[in-house]
Amino acid sequence: MRVAKLFRKTMFGIFLLFGLIALSTSALCVYTVDRQLSQEYEANSRAIAQTIANSSMDIILNRDMSTLQSLIDQFKEIQGIKYLYIVDENGDILAHTFVPGVPKEILASDRVKLATVDRKLPGFGEFVEVSSPILDGIAGSVHVGMDKGLIALKIQTAIGQQVYLISTIFLVSIFGSFLLVNLAAKPLGRLGGYATQLAAPAAPATITPEEVKALLERSDEVGQLARVLRHLSARDVTTGTAE
Amino acid sequence: MTRFLRMAVPGPGLALVLSSLLLGAGTSDQPATGGQFAEGVTDRQIVVGMSAPFKGASRSLGIELYRGSMAYLSEVNRAGGIHGRTIELKAYNDGYQPDQAIKNTLKLMQEDKVFLLFDYVGTPTVTRVLPLLKKYDKLHFRLFFPFTGAQPQREPPYDRLAVNLRASYRQETAGLVDNFLAIGRSRIAVFYQADAYGRSGWVGVREALASHNLKIVGEATYTRGTKYTESLDRQVAMLQEVKPDAIISVGAYAACAAFIRDARKAGLTVPIANVSFVGSESMLELLVAANKADGREYTGNLVNSQVVPSYENPNVPVVKEYLALMDKHQPSTPAGLADADYKPLRYSFVSLEGFLNAKLLVEVLKRMGAHPERAKIADTVAGIEGFELGMGRPISFTAQRNQGSDAIYYTTVEDGRFVPIRDWKAWRK
Repeated sequence: MRVAKLFRKTMFGIFLLFGLIALSTSALCVYTVDRQLSQEYEANSRAIAQTIANSSMDIILNRDMSTLQSLIDQFKEIQGIKYLYIVDENGDILAHTFVPGVPKEILASDRVKLATVDRKLPGFGEFVEVSSPILDGIAGSVHVGMDKGLIALKIQTAIGQQVYLISTIFLVSIFGSFLLVNLAAKPLGRLGGYATQLAAPAAPATITPEEVKALLERSDEVGQLARVLRHLSARDVTTGTAE
Repeated sequence: MTRFLRMAVPGPGLALVLSSLLLGAGTSDQPATGGQFAEGVTDRQIVVGMSAPFKGASRSLGIELYRGSMAYLSEVNRAGGIHGRTIELKAYNDGYQPDQAIKNTLKLMQEDKVFLLFDYVGTPTVTRVLPLLKKYDKLHFRLFFPFTGAQPQREPPYDRLAVNLRASYRQETAGLVDNFLAIGRSRIAVFYQADAYGRSGWVGVREALASHNLKIVGEATYTRGTKYTESLDRQVAMLQEVKPDAIISVGAYAACAAFIRDARKAGLTVPIANVSFVGSESMLELLVAANKADGREYTGNLVNSQVVPSYENPNVPVVKEYLALMDKHQPSTPAGLADADYKPLRYSFVSLEGFLNAKLLVEVLKRMGAHPERAKIADTVAGIEGFELGMGRPISFTAQRNQGSDAIYYTTVEDGRFVPIRDWKAWRK
């Protein structure tokens, strides 16, 4: 099927518009989801670190590390929490959830310092680590690693759903505009063929007599124009005017 | 009020309600004794409950512990039981998973209404069950002889809720550290299960080294439930990097055998010591099969600490008894819990421990007399002093001390079996 020039231009316009919508909403989505999820996860991690810090005081003071380990193992089940570790006041690790072992980056870091840090751990991923002091830091601190990969995955999922929705609307729009443009482009094409036929009657006809009849019977602007052309053509023949 | 009770509880029910009110029974925390005997006790039976792995990567531990206990209990039951009552061991599979262990315990306490809990397996499971026992403290449930050397059930606030027979992991790891240091192996690394059990062993090693002003030179962990078929190359590489003189391994047999296999393949030939929980024979079985399959030597330089004497030594009275009763009864796995592909071990350290547990349990129940009550368990256990279980070392408990034995035995592999270590100098650096 030959695509009318008019439709091609319309489609290009729609494509541009949807592209702009998709890009701008995706950028907004990335920004919003990233910010909100990061804030939410960080707040949750901080609350978890605080909870563990509060409940582990007696356990640490009693040197009961297996109960301490049981405690942090339970929190690891929470979505987004990738690792936990507890250090004593000297920064020595008392319990952790790392397999196959504590990453070198963490061993090399200042574990006594209490701050929210971004960590890139080869073999593990990228994390935001929050910490909470135990007994105001004199008994150590709890550190919770939040998986940034999960946030990225959630963003990807949100964008994927959005792109899917926009693509569906885009395809429906293309189909709708094809129908609509075709409604206008087809009679115009016939009108063109009719005008050519009037201008050069000897040339091969591109429009059948039935189509000419239907064209002249139309009540819209195309029919009106066809009738004007026929009238002008008839007047030219009467006055003997010729190009 | 009488009229109301008559309407609500017609006939004989009234007498029951009134007697319950008068006796103060029937509160939500109190067991409904429902007769002349305590819960879990009838005129012909005492029911005790067990939760352990009977399926999965650690199934051998639960199965063999159960079989060892059943070898002794079968003999006691056959002879008429205790004060005319046989002992039924009701077992459930927890797959070595803490949440399932809690569910099983609740079932044993609330539905099966067992008299006491017995032969639980594992630190991560037991440490999660202990708070449950504390919650139902008024029911006086006690956990007898858990198959773990962890500290929580040996120290307040849970020490009075459990009764231990075996020595602790602290004692086992301290012994291993001391022996390695004595032969010049001071760079000690730890390979351990990433959970409460592994941490318990890790702490033992850490504290033992700290008493010599030393530190763990390196550590690597694995996830509970790791199978023998999995690769532990990353853990091996981590420990190889720190150039240890010896490695103390705190895990279960499948993962520990896989670690030894991968370590030896990588050229890490230093002594690797495992603690008693590992399931020595199951580990050895995997390594011997690997020896044959690969043509390599995987069973050299292995040390295993045990909390029971070697079953290769029939001169120990209880070992002689164990060997005879295991052969006589050939206990099977609990009904409905057996995996078709599991081949029971004829003898093992784990089943010997189960045997000893059952023997001491029977002694406790005997001492409780014809009318055993849970509330009297603690006093009965505390009264055991110098009891000869047949290990050659008397067993004693007090109100403050809930661990019967401090005995540690060290073994190594020779000719495809575990034998007592006669001289540690063989591994001198």
